Amino acid sequence: MSKPSVEKGIQFIKAQIDAPVASFFSSCVHCGLCAEACLFYTETEDPKYTPINKVEPMRRIWEQEYTVLGKLKSALGLSKPIDEATFKEWETLVYDGCTLCGRCSVACPLGNDISGMIRKSREGFAAAGYAPPDLIGATQRAMEIGSPMGVKLPAVKAQIRHLEEDTGLKVTIDQQGAEYMVLLSSMEIMNFPEYLEAIARIMRQAGKTWTIASTAFEATNSGIQIGVSDLAKVIVSRIVDAAESLGVKTVISPECGHAYTAVRWEGPNLIGRPYKFEVKHILEILDEFTKAGLIKTEGMEEARLTYHDPCQIARKGGIVEQPRRLLNKVASNFVEMRDAGAMNWCCSGGGGVSANERAEGLKLKAFKRKKTQLDELQVDTLVTACANCRLTLEEGLEENGMDIPVVGLTEMVADHLVEEERGS
Amino acid sequence: MSTISNDTEFRQALDALSLEQQRTVASRFVQNVLSLSGDSRLQQVIDAVEVGTDLATAFKSAKRVSLEAHARCGSEGDWNEQAGYFVARAAQAAVEPQVRTAGKNPAWKAAMQCRMARTCLASDSDEDTHDLETGAQHQLLTDYLNP
Repeated sequence: MSKPSVEKGIQFIKAQIDAPVASFFSSCVHCGLCAEACLFYTETEDPKYTPINKVEPMRRIWEQEYTVLGKLKSALGLSKPIDEATFKEWETLVYDGCTLCGRCSVACPLGNDISGMIRKSREGFAAAGYAPPDLIGATQRAMEIGSPMGVKLPAVKAQIRHLEEDTGLKVTIDQQGAEYMVLLSSMEIMNFPEYLEAIARIMRQAGKTWTIASTAFEATNSGIQIGVSDLAKVIVSRIVDAAESLGVKTVISPECGHAYTAVRWEGPNLIGRPYKFEVKHILEILDEFTKAGLIKTEGMEEARLTYHDPCQIARKGGIVEQPRRLLNKVASNFVEMRDAGAMNWCCSGGGGVSANERAEGLKLKAFKRKKTQLDELQVDTLVTACANCRLTLEEGLEENGMDIPVVGLTEMVADHLVEEERGS
Repeated sequence: MSTISNDTEFRQALDALSLEQQRTVASRFVQNVLSLSGDSRLQQVIDAVEVGTDLATAFKSAKRVSLEAHARCGSEGDWNEQAGYFVARAAQAAVEPQVRTAGKNPAWKAAMQCRMARTCLASDSDEDTHDLETGAQHQLLTDYLNP
């Protein structure tokens, strides 16, 4: 990244203003529905967290640069300037007070993609040097080491050894021509190594060949979170290069929300061409395997449980039915949260918020929305499919004195696989 | 005298124990890696298993330590510190209320977390420390079964 400056930030935001953005600003009727859709507003009742307000610097630049009235106001000195103070004031709104969950975009009666505009605004804030230090550090590590948490290949190899010795399962690295290339998030490698074992057990039963790429095991893309497309492109390119070099048919995105958005939706646009392979989320794969009879489960969880839809997977990714079909195969007392599926409420830690330590207090305030939803249900277990959601939920539950275990859906499915004789 | 020499025998022997015995064995596995965590609350968790009282408080304490020790999304991971997280998870497994274990063996669960704690130490190198912990656990169980 070259040296940041306010001028650069303004130029970057200006460059993000395309026809859709211009039409969004032109059509906003100030109805306020986006406010009611945002957990940072509903849980703080502070109007500054109204989603459309978070893109106010971008709106000012659009008005001043691209509208007659705005140009006139500028000429008469009536426009509010975009300066250091503007970037400083809005930085916490754009990064700390938004998880890029996209609920505001879905709630907008005019279809304005407000969340998308916040994502675009981050490009300017990062270029101006107004981004959270923790996200800057994560992005630097992603560029230099290949992982935002600094996870290196020996760590993955150590986990593979651990897995192979404990279970007898085999995990290959860089297997040419494997059907699937499995990505992991550093959160899973660091905190939930059970995910890798679950994958190994599922793949063995499904009879599929799979591998992990030594040069691209990491799924997370901090370039997307901080809002630097050039860096996001480099990170996506590592995955694309590895997948195409190994000749895999499908890349499996792990239980990580934004990683899925980055590699599935933003990736081809970032590299400027379609992939030569498919990208699927692990829940899509599990659903396909069960439908095809490739994996069979036995026994049912009897605990009253519910499912937290990760925003990037459900609302932005459209993966809503698959987890429910899977849960209904392994749980006898599955109940839905209010607003489940595409209109779910965020865990409060997505979009880089949980990686941003200074946002901790605000995140816990916003978690009250999830607490309210869970209080209504009185469940014994909470299931989800995103490692970041999982930890955010665990922290929020602990903070609120709620003793509810949080479980990853892939692990839950693996726990119910019909046991086969080793080597069969 | 029965000697545990592989994981198949290890798991069978653990499954044959009562829940109370499984917790006791789990606490011994945790004790063996306790030095990898700098959190003194975990010793109290292990002590609670030995005494057999107030497991609920011990569980809350272990869960709190585990949450405090996890690697935050996007933060720079330190595998030596991360070993402490897995020790806390092992301690949590040892005292987990029955309603949460859903029939799963707490000793096996704790054993896996302890091995993971040891694996963390090898995460920055190609050194294989895994067998050390596995062998130690086999011996701990053998000793428990043959007092």
